[in-house]
Amino acid sequence: MAKHPGTNAKTKKKAKKKGSKKSGPDAISMKLKAEKSNPFETIWSRRKFDILGKKRKGEELRIGLSRSLAIQKRKKTLLKEYEQSTKSSVFVDKRIGEQNDELGEFEKGIMRSQRQRQLKFGKKSKFNLSDGEDDDFDAPGFGSLPERDDFDDEILSDDDNDDGGGATNKRSAILKQLNSHGAQDPSERGLVEGEENQKHKSKKEIMEEVILKSKYFKAQKAKDKDENEQLMEELDKNFTSLVQSRVLLSMTEPGKMNALKALVNKGVPNEHLNEEEFPVTQRAETYKQEQPDSYDKLVNEMVLEIRAHPSDRTKTPEEIAQEERERLERLEEERLKRMLATDYSSDEDGENVEKDSSQRPRAISGDDLGDSFALDEEPGSKKGWLDEILERKDADDSEDEDEDASEDSESAKHTGEDEGSEEDDDDERERTLSLKDWEQSDDDNLGTDLDEDEEEQEHDDAVGDEEDVEQKGCNMSNKTELKKHNGESVDAKKIKPSIKRTSMKSDIPFIFEAPRSLEELSSLLENCSNGNVIVIINRIRASNAIKLAAENRKKMQVFYGVLLQYFAVLANKKPLNFELLNLLVKPLMEVSMEIPYFSAICARQRILQTRTQFCEALKNQENGCWPTLKTLFLLRLWSMVFPCSDFRHAVMTPAILLMCEYLMRCPIISGRDVAIGSFLCSMVLMVTKQSRKFCPEAIMFLRTLLMAATDQKLAPEQDCQDFYNLMGLKALRPLLRIHDFVDEINPLNFLMVMDMPDDSSFFSSDNFRASALVTVIETLRGFVEIYDGLNSFPEIFLPIATLLLEVSQQKHIPEALEDKFNDVAQLIKQKADEAHRLRRPLQIRKQKPVPIKLLNPKFEENFVKGRDYDPDRERAERRKLQKLIKREAKGAARELRKDNYFLYEVKQKDKALQEKERAANYGRAIAFLQEQEHAFKSGQLGKGRKRRR
Amino acid sequence: MVRPYAIKGKKRKTREEKYDREEDEEVEVEEKESANRGSIEKPKGEAPDEEEEEDESGAHELVGIPIAPSDQNTKKAGVIFVLEKASLEVAKVGKSFQLLNSDDHANFLRKNKKNPAYCRPDIAHQALLAILDSPINKAGRLQAVYVKTEKGVLFEVKPHVRIPRTYKRFSGIMLQLLQQHKITAVGKRESLLRLIKNPVTQYFPVNSRKIGFSYSSEKLVKMSKYVDAVDDDVNLVFVVGAMAHGKIGTEYVDDFIAISGYPLSAAMCIARITEALAEKWNVL
Repeated sequence: MAKHPGTNAKTKKKAKKKGSKKSGPDAISMKLKAEKSNPFETIWSRRKFDILGKKRKGEELRIGLSRSLAIQKRKKTLLKEYEQSTKSSVFVDKRIGEQNDELGEFEKGIMRSQRQRQLKFGKKSKFNLSDGEDDDFDAPGFGSLPERDDFDDEILSDDDNDDGGGATNKRSAILKQLNSHGAQDPSERGLVEGEENQKHKSKKEIMEEVILKSKYFKAQKAKDKDENEQLMEELDKNFTSLVQSRVLLSMTEPGKMNALKALVNKGVPNEHLNEEEFPVTQRAETYKQEQPDSYDKLVNEMVLEIRAHPSDRTKTPEEIAQEERERLERLEEERLKRMLATDYSSDEDGENVEKDSSQRPRAISGDDLGDSFALDEEPGSKKGWLDEILERKDADDSEDEDEDASEDSESAKHTGEDEGSEEDDDDERERTLSLKDWEQSDDDNLGTDLDEDEEEQEHDDAVGDEEDVEQKGCNMSNKTELKKHNGESVDAKKIKPSIKRTSMKSDIPFIFEAPRSLEELSSLLENCSNGNVIVIINRIRASNAIKLAAENRKKMQVFYGVLLQYFAVLANKKPLNFELLNLLVKPLMEVSMEIPYFSAICARQRILQTRTQFCEALKNQENGCWPTLKTLFLLRLWSMVFPCSDFRHAVMTPAILLMCEYLMRCPIISGRDVAIGSFLCSMVLMVTKQSRKFCPEAIMFLRTLLMAATDQKLAPEQDCQDFYNLMGLKALRPLLRIHDFVDEINPLNFLMVMDMPDDSSFFSSDNFRASALVTVIETLRGFVEIYDGLNSFPEIFLPIATLLLEVSQQKHIPEALEDKFNDVAQLIKQKADEAHRLRRPLQIRKQKPVPIKLLNPKFEENFVKGRDYDPDRERAERRKLQKLIKREAKGAARELRKDNYFLYEVKQKDKALQEKERAANYGRAIAFLQEQEHAFKSGQLGKGRKRRR
Repeated sequence: MVRPYAIKGKKRKTREEKYDREEDEEVEVEEKESANRGSIEKPKGEAPDEEEEEDESGAHELVGIPIAPSDQNTKKAGVIFVLEKASLEVAKVGKSFQLLNSDDHANFLRKNKKNPAYCRPDIAHQALLAILDSPINKAGRLQAVYVKTEKGVLFEVKPHVRIPRTYKRFSGIMLQLLQQHKITAVGKRESLLRLIKNPVTQYFPVNSRKIGFSYSSEKLVKMSKYVDAVDDDVNLVFVVGAMAHGKIGTEYVDDFIAISGYPLSAAMCIARITEALAEKWNVL
């Protein structure tokens, strides 16, 4: 190998530089001391923004210094390359130890001598057996690959330019390398491992070890498994022998024993059959497969055998009361919802009916039969119904108490005469219901003379209709029945004792078959007292309770129809048995709670029928089209049975409409019409009291009656124009005009009035007029109270107020009546004033100033500078990488630019040098030529010539 | 790769017309309104001075009744607020950057030899809320708000920003603004808050009157009277200090006034100003 002293020196210098560069500050200080200081290098970079608390890490950056350092680095690397680039060959220093900077001259010498000896030894011992002595020659500096021999190492390291001798060595070295690294056979591997230090394990070796370990563990596991199987087999054998030995039999239950036996037998025959054919292991396997399933089953059975269940704690009275209260509250809420839910939709919309019915499944019952019948809603709604009526009763009770108190003091102040009487009757009814014993002693004759000549006809038709309906109703209700039979037995038990108790008191048979027609019922109830009628009806109901049997529902439906018919017939009888009617109300209500759908259907059918009759009657008006007592009673009954406050109800809505139609279309001819009309008005008032529905017909009717009380001289004012138009069909006479002085005002007995013939003298008496007027004014007061929330209150009631004042100014009006009139007029005025005060004048609509649209700023909760808050992680990642690429590209470009600049400078310097040299040569040549020329021109006077001479 | 956001050119265009934004909106509103009005011809005239509380239900029901003309759409002089010396400073506390306040960073501030009493970013927060919540802003009369921090960083707050109402969120937004130099709207590219170059005077409209506020000023005036005296077409620039102690610089301020005999908080001072302006401009 060739050596070059120049290059050697150069590398030495370079090595020195490299070594010194490692410790930065020293280098700087050395440089500062050694070289003349570059003023730019002393400049420190300055930070623009001082952020409190931020570490001043980048502060000690001197750009000038770093630039000069970069230039020096280039001088060491790039410049070298540049200088070498034009050379076809290069001197490489391959002397031992020359690459290592840390070695001194002496050590280098030692190493070289070692190598010398080794070489000699190697050549000689070419055919000797190796005794591993090669390793002894390892120098500490060559420890990079200790398992390989250093000779090969050296050859490998400089494989660029190896001579002929090195080629063979190289090949052998590669072979060796393959051997050591390939690791084809683990035995050799293990041998190698054993020889070497543990820390020199390569990754591959480690992996191999791991694999070996895992294999070992797997084998271990398999072995364990085998052992387990064998043990299990043994156990099973023992178990079968135990079972067959009948020792166990005495200790376990017979059922379990059988199961055990079956289990064992199932396994054992199998075993016996297979024993000859299969080797032991296989048999064990089959056994094992079958065994666990049945065994597990058995265990599970044992686990699930008997468990004691804790029973529910009996509730304390407080809890029960609390529950009841909650239930009532919920029901009241429901009622309010039903009242208000559809308030948004206007009453006039026809299509809303369907929508409503879909919203409130209960209302479907009457609306359309079977089409959109909702099964599941029925029980809940029924409950609500029942409860409402109970509630209403309570309310009635409280009201009645008040009324009782007031009744004694003064009868004139009572709320409306027929209303009052009705209410009186109501509470009478309730009283009688509560005091059954008292009632039963009271022997009233049931009217046996049923004059059913025409009513019967009429009702037969009705029954015919109802039968059809009933069929449908049955179909519907049969579906619902199934649900209700859960608690029936308990209920039945409850019911029976009560039957017995009541039956003790008379000789009425205990069990009745439900009557199927009116004839049956009336024959059954013939000659019974009022009390007995109720008892019979109750027993019929009890013995045919819906909860007892499925078919009872149908029976009860038929019975309900009959009972309703009976009620209607009773209402039409001439000597009216009012007490019995009142008593009938209770069972009717209760039955209709049990079969709400059917009762609703019945009611609707009847209403429809009444309406058609009414239309017929309107065509020939001479015999009067006002409703009969029967219709009135039925309407009253329904208003009690069904919730009046619902916004839309299958029965009550048509009922109210019917009442209003009566009020609107029937002409007022006699005093009786006045009485019926005012009764209807009071009924409308009662029905609309809670829901505050507006019934213009009732108010119009009351106004008409008031008009009838004046002397008809009223000039038709402008605002009354339409009112007179509407009133046109009511041939108005001063029916209620009081002509004479009236000393006392009696409450009007509605039933008595109804009994009287049309042309009775009572109707033309001033007493009747006064009491009718009292009724009117009280009803009007009720309406005023109800409608005070209406926007159009003044428009509705102010004309009435003036009318009232006018009436009260008349001559013969009694004192009390005048006071009432004035009171109500005052009330109307006051409320109208209030309404007026609430009104606002019509004004141009002002646009609310539109505020500027605000925008929310986008910011992060915990903002960290430099983090990408893009929700799309992929995009953020990509952007990050792109940023990195850009930065790197920029950096590389910058470096390249600087390199180029550096090289350019070097080239320039070279060029300048060359130029200078060339110029010098040129000058010299020119000078020589000039000298020659000079000598030539001067003629023999040159130096040479002189010398020659 | 698809461009995630809108095209740059468009943005640049919007930035150029800095004070025309209102106009655009107004045009839009006017169009909409005329469509609403339909056939009904609205009587041209001055809006009634006293706007009464409108009966809402009436307004909803009565469709046929004509709408009163509103004077919201005509171009008028605006108002600019400058909050000087707001102590909004970001520091690295522990490992994270935080907006320095006197409550949470008292120890940190003492360690760095600073007075915690001066670190009051809540003043700036309250002042900003007072400005942006005022009816004159809702009416669109506020042109811009500029905040200059104690360190000299100037940033602009657009009038239609909904500044977070809680301090914590406000500090988050300020932190991000001071580090990122810009806060955009949610779902839009429009920048609502951004750092801008000093001095602030370059952003004022030409015909503007700069009024500074100081308790120390000799000129004690009643705000409503003072504002009434200013012409309608003059743009008003109010310079209010948002610092705990000290006085705002007077370099560009035309007039230096005090509006109370007592030292007022920044928010209170702004409330007075906006109240007076609302009275002057009939913004209710």
